[in-house]
Amino acid sequence: MVVCSVVVRRLLAAAPAAPRHVFTGLRWVTSTPVKFTDRKYTDKHEWVQVEGKIGTIGITHYAQDALGDVVYAQLPDPGQEFSQMDECGALESVKAASELYCPVSGKIVSKNTEVEDTPGLINKSCYEKGWLFKLELSKLHELDGLMDEAQYEKFLKTDDH
Amino acid sequence: MTFWNQGKALGRWALRAFSSATRSSRSATPKTVFISQSDDIFANLALEDWLYRHHDFSQHRILLLWRNGPAVVVGRHQNPWKETHVGALHDKQVVLARRNSGGGAVYHDQGNLNLSFLTSREGYNRRTNLTVVANALRREFGLEATVNDRDDLVLNGNYKISGTAAKLGRPNAYHHCTLLADVDLDNMKGILNSDDCGIETKATDSVRSPVCNLSSMHPGLNVASLMGAVGREFLRSDDRGVDLGKSAISRQLGFTLVNPTDDWFPGLEKSRAELASWGWRFGRTPDFTVRREFAVPREMCVTEGAKLQVQMRVVKGRVASMSVTVPPGFVSNAPEGEVAVLSGLEGQKFSEEAVGLVEAAFAKKDKSDKKKRFVAECVRRVVQ
Repeated sequence: MVVCSVVVRRLLAAAPAAPRHVFTGLRWVTSTPVKFTDRKYTDKHEWVQVEGKIGTIGITHYAQDALGDVVYAQLPDPGQEFSQMDECGALESVKAASELYCPVSGKIVSKNTEVEDTPGLINKSCYEKGWLFKLELSKLHELDGLMDEAQYEKFLKTDDH
Repeated sequence: MTFWNQGKALGRWALRAFSSATRSSRSATPKTVFISQSDDIFANLALEDWLYRHHDFSQHRILLLWRNGPAVVVGRHQNPWKETHVGALHDKQVVLARRNSGGGAVYHDQGNLNLSFLTSREGYNRRTNLTVVANALRREFGLEATVNDRDDLVLNGNYKISGTAAKLGRPNAYHHCTLLADVDLDNMKGILNSDDCGIETKATDSVRSPVCNLSSMHPGLNVASLMGAVGREFLRSDDRGVDLGKSAISRQLGFTLVNPTDDWFPGLEKSRAELASWGWRFGRTPDFTVRREFAVPREMCVTEGAKLQVQMRVVKGRVASMSVTVPPGFVSNAPEGEVAVLSGLEGQKFSEEAVGLVEAAFAKKDKSDKKKRFVAECVRRVVQ
């Protein structure tokens, strides 16, 4: 039993995101470790994921659902500079153009041309293929003021979103 | 009285009206109807934008009523060359404008009423606004107007009398729509284009529908009487579009005439200039490729039925690249096929200005005046 529980602990410690079948001594159970992303969120329903000084920005599932089918994505061009919360582009769905706000200050490094060609990617895959643009952050400390995933989930449950 | 003083006065009124409004209905935000004194499309679009950017709509809603001289107004992400014959507008004294909201192209003249419902983001509700308009038409003119599943206002089930578009930001949003009171429909049909014109683009399209004027259903109805009817209905409705009765009107903030100038709205002139600029109206066009073929006159080539093709890539309203594909015998001492890209055009506006440059560039390749003029004419038809 002791050997088994040590084995179990080691297996769980080494567990990647995939489910592991673990023998607890009594029965086999499947354990899927919960993995929060390190995305940060704004109250305008945009997310930013940072690696080093480069942030990738997109809109959340809640936002794409509220928008409806996106028919046109107007994204900022590489080289443009924005301050936090500047209007930097727009997403057009049927009859409404929704503003895009830059969640952190910085200079645009690239935009997702796949999304420009196929705006529907934003609806289908808002966290992966539907990313909007990347920028080089000029004020990393601004990230501290954004919500993490748990805080964003809580925010969605309030009336103020 | 400047807007700031008016704003302060409105603010005090709003608070008083809010408390009395809450006694009668908790869902009736204080409301004002603004009527613009200008008929300049750019000033009115700038006014709408100013209110959207600067006003606090958390405890206030505004219905802005405005009209303007003849104009084609395209949606934010549209291609004006696809929506209308841009080159012909000047002679017809029609201006081209691009609005900040999405949607398709519309034609305005003095017989068209524009309505902008400005609210907070949370207060935005397109269907409620259109229901208020439909109620006004029914109450004051006995017209059977309904809101269809495309959120269009239609008369008697099928005639479109209004086009709708919206801009959603935070903290504010607006929904605006047109109302065809007494518009010159023949002029409108001639100006709004449904031809393909060889343009390939990701720009948003317009959806064409059969239209009619409200005055055709109710003689004597005009923009002025519509303004009063819709304004009153807006003031007597709650936030869900439910009628609170005629007495509710006096508890609201009434009608106010406004002048879209810097005196009243600081910074408005700069916004107006931006909206009227070539860079906004044409330069904001999504990138596109245009490809068109033209029948070449027999005497200019060696075979029957020969075609000349003009292709251009246009980025931000300017020519990024251009090529002309010629039939056999068209260019002396040169084989058929693509003529070397006519240089000197890159960066030129996609307009009549490019035509002169094409003529000059072609003249270097072939001495024939007739052919030069023919090529120029083809290019002219492409840029219009």
